Amino acid sequence: MTFARDSYRTVVVGAGIVGLFTAYHLARAGGGPILVVDRGFLSSGASGRNGGGVRQQWETRGTVRLARESVQAYRRFGLEFGFNIWFRQSGYLFLAENEGELARLRNVHALVASEGLPSKVLDGDGIAQLIEGIAPGAAVGGTYLESDRLLYPFPALWGVYEAVRSLGVEVALGVEAHGVEVRDGKVAGLLTSKGPVATSTVVNAAGGWSGDLSRRSGLEVPNVATRHEILATEALKPFLDPMVVRVSDGLYFSQSMRGEVIGGLTLPHRPGTSRGQGSSPAFLTTMARALVGLVPRLGSVGVLRAWSGFYDDTPDGFPVIGEDPRLPGFVHGNGFGGHGFMLAPATSRRIALAALGQPTDLDPAQFSPRRFLAPTPVATVERLQLG
Amino acid sequence: MVGEPDRQFSFRGRPRSARKGETLLSVLSRDRIPLLHRSIQYHRPQGPLCGIGHCTGCLVRVNGRPNVRACRYEPTSGDSVTTENAWPSPSWDLLGAIGLLMPGGVDSLHGLRRPAVATRLYQRLVRRLAGTGEPPTDAVSRALSAPAVERSPEVVVIGAGEAGRSVAAALAARGITPVVVERGLHPPTTDGAELLGATTAVFLPPPAETGERRFTLLAFREPAQGVRIDARSVVVATGGYDASLLFGGNDRPGVLTADAALALAAPSRPPPFHEAVVVGGGRRAAEVLSSCGDAVTAVVAPGEIRPEVVRAASDRGILLYPRSLLLRAGGRKHVRSVRLRARGGGSETTIACDAIVLAHRRVPHAQLFFQSGAAMEWRPGVGAYAPTVSANGATSVPGLFASGSVAGISPSEFAHHAETVADAVVRGVGPTGSAPSPTPDVAATELVGYYRELLRVPGHGRWVACPCVDVLVAEVERAVRSGYRGIEVVKRYTSLGSGICQGRYCLPDALLLLSILEDRPPAEVGYITQRPPVVPIPLAALASLPNPPALEVHP
Repeated sequence: MTFARDSYRTVVVGAGIVGLFTAYHLARAGGGPILVVDRGFLSSGASGRNGGGVRQQWETRGTVRLARESVQAYRRFGLEFGFNIWFRQSGYLFLAENEGELARLRNVHALVASEGLPSKVLDGDGIAQLIEGIAPGAAVGGTYLESDRLLYPFPALWGVYEAVRSLGVEVALGVEAHGVEVRDGKVAGLLTSKGPVATSTVVNAAGGWSGDLSRRSGLEVPNVATRHEILATEALKPFLDPMVVRVSDGLYFSQSMRGEVIGGLTLPHRPGTSRGQGSSPAFLTTMARALVGLVPRLGSVGVLRAWSGFYDDTPDGFPVIGEDPRLPGFVHGNGFGGHGFMLAPATSRRIALAALGQPTDLDPAQFSPRRFLAPTPVATVERLQLG
Repeated sequence: MVGEPDRQFSFRGRPRSARKGETLLSVLSRDRIPLLHRSIQYHRPQGPLCGIGHCTGCLVRVNGRPNVRACRYEPTSGDSVTTENAWPSPSWDLLGAIGLLMPGGVDSLHGLRRPAVATRLYQRLVRRLAGTGEPPTDAVSRALSAPAVERSPEVVVIGAGEAGRSVAAALAARGITPVVVERGLHPPTTDGAELLGATTAVFLPPPAETGERRFTLLAFREPAQGVRIDARSVVVATGGYDASLLFGGNDRPGVLTADAALALAAPSRPPPFHEAVVVGGGRRAAEVLSSCGDAVTAVVAPGEIRPEVVRAASDRGILLYPRSLLLRAGGRKHVRSVRLRARGGGSETTIACDAIVLAHRRVPHAQLFFQSGAAMEWRPGVGAYAPTVSANGATSVPGLFASGSVAGISPSEFAHHAETVADAVVRGVGPTGSAPSPTPDVAATELVGYYRELLRVPGHGRWVACPCVDVLVAEVERAVRSGYRGIEVVKRYTSLGSGICQGRYCLPDALLLLSILEDRPPAEVGYITQRPPVVPIPLAALASLPNPPALEVHP
């Protein structure tokens, strides 16, 4: 027998930060027995591959509020979970290269400020003060939110992993989910690479693989896995505080606690998970040009390693949270578009509520899986899917 | 090549002179090598270990450029060389108090996690202590721009050692002019081939779905000139390197690999020590004795000592300690002695020495194979992974071949194997029969047994498992005790293997360590995905390269 039991009340697919946090909230609400399965080892997916940014600057109010709630939750993380996640008030700096981009950022600023967050609009000089050695004229302006943060993703995973295990949640690693078993139009179990397991509730928190799991379960979903590459340099003494994000090409970089410059930029990779999580020469050369173009002094710094991970993208840029109306017992907790780590604490509480069959306070027009089934596409779109 | 000392430069404000063709480390090792570097977290005195441009031990700042490896830098007149990451200097570093105050190590995973004002100050302090050097100056980075080098040969050979040169000659005899890429600073010329002095950093397989069959290699020439080569076939002949060993003080100044000792003693220079202890009883130890034998006082081997080493040692009155456990290096800022214990719980001995030369285990330099996606296999004889290679040198990746010791070929067979590989390259054939297993220098079971004994030595938890990131053995043990299994997860839990050498020097030991702690064979512990690049490549070099033609980016 691969699993400790024949049947579970809930099976969560994905032991990334969203899946583990969801299992944590379920277990605390007495929703056991719970099984979490993951196709790889702990931290092998996007939760172990991201840049560690947690920002509250977004283009829609719903996302700003979830992000703000997540920041508060991560502030308490050390005490609650016993791990130091190096949650650091670094600030986030968005760069505009022209007036059009700056106008867009001004709108972001107005929204974020209206939520009571101390966002600022900066001119070129203000930006030069925050990025030591920036090329002259590289940015006309931008927005800056001092209370945006960075964290070190790994200890956050270890903390929630150890917490769910001590709450009696079973975590089975190296187990691939092949799709759900349906009986009487409802979820009856999950088919896995280690055999079937009975359950009435499956939470799809499989990140880049969540679209595959939904489709293998007979549900047409618009989720698309897109590969995003990232690199880290040799460690330098601190010279950069904020996470920097450029609107035009999605270039983002920050300096980690260890001193490495870590960052990436958006390249139009072929969608799908089949190519794996490797790197490409195209990314390395494009990223190097972008970084050296913006901060010329970094030219002699060596790239230490590069890797990639999957964003789980949706057409409107919002995550998918809630039970699928076509298949009772199939609960979505996916579609985070590369921002699952920063939104996990706030969203996983709602995903757990949905798995328990309880209502959430989320606007269904923005977050429910129902929105993709409507005959007309949704109007609101979150386009600040950068960095 | 080596002439009169005519290059005047300054080292920490004092004038020095170098000959043409001499590395900074060679110049400094004319006397005893000064302390150049402190470890990243505890600020322990750390010495140059590898001598071949991978470890952290000889990082210096040259003309405002950080993280320059003294073993790969040839000073030019007017250079200003300084040391970094120590205050006021590596010799007297007040930051070393961190290690003294916290002898059991800093627990960065669980320590100081309360959200408070103190956290912000603590984070600032930790950030300040992190990093190996101040960021480069604008001026030095702008001065690096050089036009990229591009080549499109039929075949590229990586490595101009004996094996690589044999393959190049065999290809030339078949009418193919290969490009031979060599990282060494003064590679020998190769007849019938174009020799390109460059370091290969990125070697990814051609994207399968495009039907593109040419390989793309990204490389660089010192200091930061980009090189791009695309070729139909690639022959990798990168050889091997001398591994580190786990013992107390294993990265202290004075601990050198045989690679470093031989590099510093060549050509015809005195070695940077007078009374060294050589570790190992096999072929590599014999090479060290033949080159630096007059400056060696003892040979210590984890297992038996081979007759050729015994002969070389007895000629010079060198003491022999077979079947010995290396416990710790004595001396705070430089090796002064080494403490041994006879295997199986025997008596302990202390030998006075001024260097420990590690020549006990040579592992294949297989990083490029990992990166290219070639099938790898565990070679129990050396306790390391190497590419799966068929008798004609073909790997599992079509067009990618291996020759020389990285393919498990012994030196006497290099020339013969080169002919076979050249034939296979010309005909474009794939794998045939399997290659003969290489003869091991130290049996793997012996290595595991050795480490099993080591882990029973009191105080081993404070030994350094990963010198680049300052990870202690106790941290690895704690990770396994907490339920984290496999090298990939333990790496992320402890940060082991994520430093500047990218695991070259800690992983061969860590795999054996984890195999014992997790109670399963080393091959099941797994290996760390070898992420590109295989050596740090300057951003300026990458930035100078045009995008490869085979963009795997969607149009």
